[in-house]
Amino acid sequence: MGPSNFQLWGSFAKEAMDASMLVVNFFCFLQVTRTYIFNAASVSGPSMLPTFSLSGEIVLVDRISLRLGKISRGDIVLVRSPENPRKVITKRLIGIEGDRMTFAVDPRRVGDDRKTVTVPKGHVWVQGDNVYESRDSRTFGAVPYALLQGRVFWRVWPLEDFGAL
Amino acid sequence: MLSQKLKLQQWCSTAKNVADRALIVAKFLCVLHIADNYLCAPTLVHGPSMLPTLNMRGDVVLTERVSHRIGNVGVGDVVLVVSPENPRKMITKRVVAREGDPVSVVGDGIWGDVSRSFVVPKGHVWVQGDNPYQSRDSRIFGPVPYGLIKGRVFLRVWPLDEFGLL
Repeated sequence: MGPSNFQLWGSFAKEAMDASMLVVNFFCFLQVTRTYIFNAASVSGPSMLPTFSLSGEIVLVDRISLRLGKISRGDIVLVRSPENPRKVITKRLIGIEGDRMTFAVDPRRVGDDRKTVTVPKGHVWVQGDNVYESRDSRTFGAVPYALLQGRVFWRVWPLEDFGAL
Repeated sequence: MLSQKLKLQQWCSTAKNVADRALIVAKFLCVLHIADNYLCAPTLVHGPSMLPTLNMRGDVVLTERVSHRIGNVGVGDVVLVVSPENPRKMITKRVVAREGDPVSVVGDGIWGDVSRSFVVPKGHVWVQGDNPYQSRDSRIFGPVPYGLIKGRVFLRVWPLDEFGLL
Protein backbone atom coordinates (compact mmCIF):
# COMPACT_ATOMS: atom_id res chain seq x y z
CA MET A 1 0.00 0.00 0.00
CA GLY A 2 1.62 3.24 -1.11
CA PRO A 3 1.67 6.53 0.75
CA SER A 4 -1.84 7.80 1.34
CA ASN A 5 -3.13 11.02 -0.15
CA PHE A 6 -2.93 12.63 3.22
CA GLN A 7 0.75 11.81 3.58
CA LEU A 8 1.48 13.13 0.08
CA TRP A 9 -0.31 16.34 0.88
CA GLY A 10 1.58 16.61 4.15
CA SER A 11 4.97 16.33 2.52
CA PHE A 12 3.95 18.75 -0.23
CA ALA A 13 2.80 21.28 2.37
CA LYS A 14 6.08 20.91 4.22
CA GLU A 15 8.09 21.55 1.06
CA ALA A 16 5.96 24.58 0.27
CA MET A 17 6.53 25.92 3.80
CA ASP A 18 10.28 25.44 3.49
CA ALA A 19 10.37 27.20 0.15
CA SER A 20 8.30 30.12 1.38
CA MET A 21 10.45 30.44 4.52
CA LEU A 22 13.45 30.73 2.23
CA VAL A 23 11.73 33.47 0.25
CA VAL A 24 10.73 35.31 3.43
CA ASN A 25 14.29 35.08 4.74
CA PHE A 26 15.61 36.42 1.47
CA PHE A 27 13.25 39.38 1.49
CA CYS A 28 14.02 40.18 5.11
CA PHE A 29 17.72 40.16 4.34
CA LEU A 30 17.18 42.27 1.21
CA GLN A 31 15.10 44.80 3.13
CA VAL A 32 17.71 45.17 5.88
CA THR A 33 20.44 45.65 3.27
CA ARG A 34 18.34 48.23 1.46
CA THR A 35 17.67 50.13 4.67
CA TYR A 36 21.12 50.20 6.20
CA ILE A 37 23.69 49.58 3.48
CA PHE A 38 22.73 50.41 -0.07
CA ASN A 39 19.80 50.49 -2.40
CA ALA A 40 19.15 50.67 -6.13
CA ALA A 41 16.87 53.33 -7.55
CA SER A 42 15.59 54.54 -10.86
CA VAL A 43 15.81 58.28 -11.49
CA SER A 44 14.10 60.11 -14.30
CA GLY A 45 12.94 63.58 -15.21
CA PRO A 46 14.45 66.82 -16.48
CA SER A 47 15.53 68.39 -13.20
CA MET A 48 19.00 66.85 -13.05
CA LEU A 49 20.09 67.39 -16.67
CA PRO A 50 22.85 67.05 -17.82
CA THR A 51 23.92 64.75 -14.98
CA PHE A 52 20.98 62.42 -15.45
CA SER A 53 19.24 62.05 -18.79
CA LEU A 54 15.54 62.57 -19.34
CA SER A 55 14.71 58.96 -20.06
CA GLY A 56 15.81 57.50 -16.78
CA GLU A 57 18.84 55.88 -15.25
CA ILE A 58 19.44 53.23 -12.62
CA VAL A 59 21.73 54.25 -9.80
CA LEU A 60 23.04 52.85 -6.54
CA VAL A 61 22.18 54.77 -3.40
CA ASP A 62 24.36 54.64 -0.32
CA ARG A 63 22.54 54.57 3.02
CA ILE A 64 25.56 54.36 5.32
CA SER A 65 26.89 57.89 4.83
CA LEU A 66 23.41 59.16 5.58
CA ARG A 67 23.35 57.53 8.98
CA LEU A 68 26.87 58.60 9.77
CA GLY A 69 26.06 62.16 8.80
CA LYS A 70 28.79 62.18 6.15
CA ILE A 71 26.77 63.84 3.41
CA SER A 72 28.39 67.01 2.10
CA ARG A 73 27.79 69.83 -0.34
CA GLY A 74 27.88 68.60 -3.90
CA ASP A 75 26.47 65.12 -3.20
CA ILE A 76 23.53 63.94 -5.24
CA VAL A 77 20.85 62.85 -2.80
CA LEU A 78 17.48 61.16 -2.84
CA VAL A 79 14.92 63.22 -0.92
CA ARG A 80 11.37 62.47 0.12
CA SER A 81 9.46 65.38 -1.38
CA PRO A 82 8.06 67.79 1.24
CA GLU A 83 5.17 68.47 -1.12
CA ASN A 84 4.19 64.87 -1.71
CA PRO A 85 5.35 62.28 0.84
CA ARG A 86 4.85 59.42 -1.60
CA LYS A 87 7.39 60.80 -4.04
CA VAL A 88 11.16 60.50 -3.78
CA ILE A 89 13.08 63.08 -5.82
CA THR A 90 16.74 63.36 -6.83
CA LYS A 91 18.57 66.62 -6.28
CA ARG A 92 22.04 67.90 -5.49
CA LEU A 93 22.82 69.06 -1.98
CA ILE A 94 23.97 72.64 -2.23
CA GLY A 95 23.82 73.98 1.32
CA ILE A 96 23.83 72.70 4.89
CA GLU A 97 22.51 74.29 8.07
CA GLY A 98 23.86 77.76 8.61
CA ASP A 99 24.71 78.46 4.95
CA ARG A 100 23.35 81.59 3.34
CA MET A 101 21.86 80.65 -0.03
CA THR A 102 21.39 83.26 -2.72
CA PHE A 103 19.34 82.33 -5.76
CA ALA A 104 17.46 83.87 -8.63
CA VAL A 105 13.75 83.76 -8.07
CA ASP A 106 13.08 83.04 -11.73
CA PRO A 107 16.15 82.02 -13.73
CA ARG A 108 14.34 82.47 -17.01
CA ARG A 109 13.82 86.16 -16.49
CA VAL A 110 16.82 88.33 -17.05
CA GLY A 111 17.09 90.64 -14.12
CA ASP A 112 18.42 91.10 -10.66
CA ASP A 113 15.57 89.43 -8.81
CA ARG A 114 17.54 87.56 -6.18
CA LYS A 115 16.64 86.18 -2.77
CA THR A 116 18.87 85.22 0.12
CA VAL A 117 17.88 82.62 2.69
CA THR A 118 19.74 81.14 5.65
CA VAL A 119 19.39 77.37 5.94
CA PRO A 120 17.89 76.66 9.39
CA LYS A 121 19.31 74.19 11.90
CA GLY A 122 18.65 70.56 11.03
CA HIS A 123 17.87 71.39 7.39
CA VAL A 124 19.63 71.18 4.01
CA TRP A 125 19.25 73.05 0.74
CA VAL A 126 18.79 70.96 -2.39
CA GLN A 127 18.70 72.05 -6.02
CA GLY A 128 18.41 70.28 -9.32
CA ASP A 129 21.32 70.66 -11.75
CA ASN A 130 18.86 71.98 -14.34
CA VAL A 131 17.77 75.20 -12.67
CA TYR A 132 15.17 75.97 -15.36
CA GLU A 133 13.14 72.80 -14.85
CA SER A 134 13.48 71.85 -11.25
CA ARG A 135 11.15 72.11 -8.27
CA ASP A 136 13.55 72.20 -5.40
CA SER A 137 14.46 74.23 -2.32
CA ARG A 138 14.03 77.42 -4.33
CA THR A 139 10.34 76.46 -4.47
CA PHE A 140 9.62 74.56 -1.25
CA GLY A 141 12.38 75.84 1.02
CA ALA A 142 15.08 74.07 2.99
CA VAL A 143 14.38 70.40 3.63
CA PRO A 144 14.75 68.73 7.07
CA TYR A 145 17.79 66.44 7.10
CA ALA A 146 15.65 63.44 8.07
CA LEU A 147 13.84 63.56 4.71
CA LEU A 148 17.04 62.55 2.91
CA GLN A 149 16.85 58.97 1.73
CA GLY A 150 20.41 58.31 0.59
CA ARG A 151 23.42 59.47 -1.38
CA VAL A 152 23.70 58.52 -5.05
CA PHE A 153 27.20 57.23 -5.68
CA TRP A 154 27.20 54.95 -8.70
CA ARG A 155 25.40 54.77 -12.02
CA VAL A 156 24.55 51.26 -13.21
CA TRP A 157 22.45 51.92 -16.32
CA PRO A 158 22.82 52.95 -19.15
CA LEU A 159 25.95 50.85 -19.45
CA GLU A 160 27.95 53.34 -21.45
CA ASP A 161 27.75 55.71 -18.47
CA PHE A 162 28.52 53.04 -15.89
CA GLY A 163 30.65 54.50 -13.11
CA ALA A 164 30.97 56.72 -10.10
CA LEU A 165 28.95 59.90 -9.72
CA MET B 1 50.44 14.34 12.19
CA LEU B 2 47.17 12.66 13.09
CA SER B 3 46.52 15.04 16.00
CA GLN B 4 47.03 18.01 13.68
CA LYS B 5 44.44 16.66 11.30
CA LEU B 6 42.03 16.11 14.22
CA LYS B 7 42.58 19.66 15.44
CA LEU B 8 41.82 21.03 11.99
CA GLN B 9 38.62 18.99 11.86
CA GLN B 10 37.58 20.27 15.28
CA TRP B 11 38.28 23.82 14.17
CA CYS B 12 36.15 23.39 11.08
CA SER B 13 33.22 21.96 12.99
CA THR B 14 33.43 24.70 15.65
CA ALA B 15 33.58 27.35 12.95
CA LYS B 16 30.55 25.80 11.31
CA ASN B 17 28.66 25.82 14.62
CA VAL B 18 29.50 29.46 15.18
CA ALA B 19 28.42 30.34 11.64
CA ASP B 20 25.11 28.53 12.12
CA ARG B 21 24.40 30.34 15.39
CA ALA B 22 25.41 33.67 13.88
CA LEU B 23 23.01 33.04 11.01
CA ILE B 24 20.15 32.39 13.44
CA VAL B 25 20.93 35.61 15.30
CA ALA B 26 21.12 37.51 12.01
CA LYS B 27 17.75 36.14 10.91
CA PHE B 28 16.22 37.08 14.24
CA LEU B 29 17.56 40.62 13.97
CA CYS B 30 16.21 40.90 10.43
CA VAL B 31 12.75 39.89 11.60
CA LEU B 32 12.99 42.30 14.53
CA HIS B 33 13.97 45.10 12.17
CA ILE B 34 11.03 44.41 9.88
CA ALA B 35 8.58 44.21 12.79
CA ASP B 36 9.96 47.38 14.38
CA ASN B 37 9.89 49.46 11.22
CA TYR B 38 6.85 48.18 9.40
CA LEU B 39 4.50 46.82 12.04
CA CYS B 40 4.71 47.90 15.64
CA ALA B 41 7.43 48.91 18.09
CA PRO B 42 7.61 49.73 21.79
CA THR B 43 9.00 53.17 22.50
CA LEU B 44 9.97 55.03 25.64
CA VAL B 45 8.61 58.55 25.59
CA HIS B 46 9.39 61.17 28.18
CA GLY B 47 9.28 64.90 28.71
CA PRO B 48 6.71 67.49 29.76
CA SER B 49 5.36 68.45 26.35
CA MET B 50 2.53 65.90 26.24
CA LEU B 51 1.17 66.32 29.80
CA PRO B 52 -1.38 65.29 30.93
CA THR B 53 -1.69 62.60 28.26
CA LEU B 54 1.79 61.20 28.71
CA ASN B 55 3.82 61.35 31.91
CA MET B 56 6.93 63.40 32.28
CA ARG B 57 9.09 60.66 33.73
CA GLY B 58 8.59 58.21 30.95
CA ASP B 59 5.94 55.95 29.52
CA VAL B 60 6.40 52.91 27.34
CA VAL B 61 4.00 53.06 24.45
CA LEU B 62 3.37 50.93 21.41
CA THR B 63 3.64 52.74 18.12
CA GLU B 64 2.24 51.27 14.95
CA ARG B 65 4.11 51.86 11.74
CA VAL B 66 1.35 51.09 9.28
CA SER B 67 -0.94 54.13 9.30
CA HIS B 68 1.56 56.71 8.21
CA ARG B 69 2.62 54.63 5.22
CA ILE B 70 -0.95 54.33 3.96
CA GLY B 71 -1.73 57.95 4.66
CA ASN B 72 -4.06 57.17 7.53
CA VAL B 73 -2.74 59.68 10.06
CA GLY B 74 -5.42 62.17 11.00
CA VAL B 75 -6.16 65.06 13.30
CA GLY B 76 -6.03 64.02 16.95
CA ASP B 77 -3.50 61.22 16.48
CA VAL B 78 -0.46 61.17 18.71
CA VAL B 79 2.52 60.60 16.43
CA LEU B 80 6.23 59.98 16.60
CA VAL B 81 7.99 62.58 14.47
CA VAL B 82 11.65 63.18 13.64
CA SER B 83 12.40 66.64 14.94
CA PRO B 84 12.96 69.11 12.07
CA GLU B 85 15.47 70.90 14.28
CA ASN B 86 17.56 67.85 15.10
CA PRO B 87 17.39 64.79 12.83
CA ARG B 88 18.71 62.51 15.56
CA LYS B 89 15.83 63.22 17.91
CA MET B 90 12.35 61.73 17.82
CA ILE B 91 9.57 63.71 19.40
CA THR B 92 6.00 62.84 20.33
CA LYS B 93 3.27 65.31 19.50
CA ARG B 94 -0.38 65.38 18.52
CA VAL B 95 -1.51 66.17 14.98
CA VAL B 96 -3.67 69.26 15.24
CA ALA B 97 -4.15 70.16 11.58
CA ARG B 98 -3.63 68.51 8.21
CA GLU B 99 -2.67 70.01 4.84
CA GLY B 100 -5.19 72.58 3.74
CA ASP B 101 -6.46 73.31 7.27
CA PRO B 102 -6.23 76.86 8.58
CA VAL B 103 -4.01 77.48 11.62
CA SER B 104 -3.68 80.52 13.79
CA VAL B 105 -0.44 81.32 15.59
CA VAL B 106 -0.01 83.91 18.29
CA GLY B 107 3.42 85.52 18.48
CA ASP B 108 6.61 83.66 19.43
CA GLY B 109 8.75 81.21 17.49
CA ILE B 110 9.67 81.95 13.90
CA TRP B 111 6.65 84.15 13.33
CA GLY B 112 7.86 87.16 15.26
CA ASP B 113 5.53 89.02 17.56
CA VAL B 114 2.47 89.11 15.36
CA SER B 115 -0.56 86.92 15.44
CA ARG B 116 -0.89 85.15 12.10
CA SER B 117 -3.32 82.90 10.41
CA PHE B 118 -2.41 80.70 7.49
CA VAL B 119 -3.09 77.38 5.79
CA VAL B 120 -1.02 74.25 6.36
CA PRO B 121 0.84 73.65 3.07
CA LYS B 122 0.42 70.56 0.93
CA GLY B 123 2.27 67.51 2.20
CA HIS B 124 2.65 68.91 5.73
CA VAL B 125 0.96 68.54 9.12
CA TRP B 126 0.76 70.83 12.12
CA VAL B 127 1.78 69.17 15.37
CA GLN B 128 1.43 70.45 18.90
CA GLY B 129 2.16 69.07 22.33
CA ASP B 130 -0.80 68.68 24.69
CA ASN B 131 1.04 70.91 27.17
CA PRO B 132 1.32 74.19 25.28
CA TYR B 133 3.45 75.85 27.94
CA GLN B 134 6.27 73.34 27.78
CA SER B 135 6.33 72.19 24.20
CA ARG B 136 8.53 72.95 21.23
CA ASP B 137 6.28 72.16 18.33
CA SER B 138 4.93 73.57 15.08
CA ARG B 139 4.29 76.88 16.80
CA ILE B 140 8.08 77.16 16.97
CA PHE B 141 9.42 75.26 13.97
CA GLY B 142 6.50 75.47 11.58
CA PRO B 143 4.50 72.79 9.78
CA VAL B 144 6.20 69.43 9.53
CA PRO B 145 6.49 67.48 6.23
CA TYR B 146 4.43 64.31 6.34
CA GLY B 147 7.52 62.24 5.52
CA LEU B 148 8.94 62.98 8.96
CA ILE B 149 6.16 61.07 10.71
CA LYS B 150 7.52 57.72 11.75
CA GLY B 151 4.65 56.10 13.65
CA ARG B 152 1.36 56.54 15.48
CA VAL B 153 1.11 55.98 19.23
CA PHE B 154 -1.92 53.84 20.04
CA LEU B 155 -1.37 51.98 23.31
CA ARG B 156 0.39 52.68 26.58
CA VAL B 157 1.89 49.59 28.19
CA TRP B 158 3.81 51.15 31.11
CA PRO B 159 3.12 52.22 33.83
CA LEU B 160 0.73 49.35 34.29
CA ASP B 161 -1.90 51.31 36.17
CA GLU B 162 -2.27 53.49 33.11
CA PHE B 163 -2.34 50.66 30.60
CA GLY B 164 -4.72 51.43 27.78
CA LEU B 165 -5.45 52.96 24.41
CA LEU B 166 -4.44 56.53 23.73
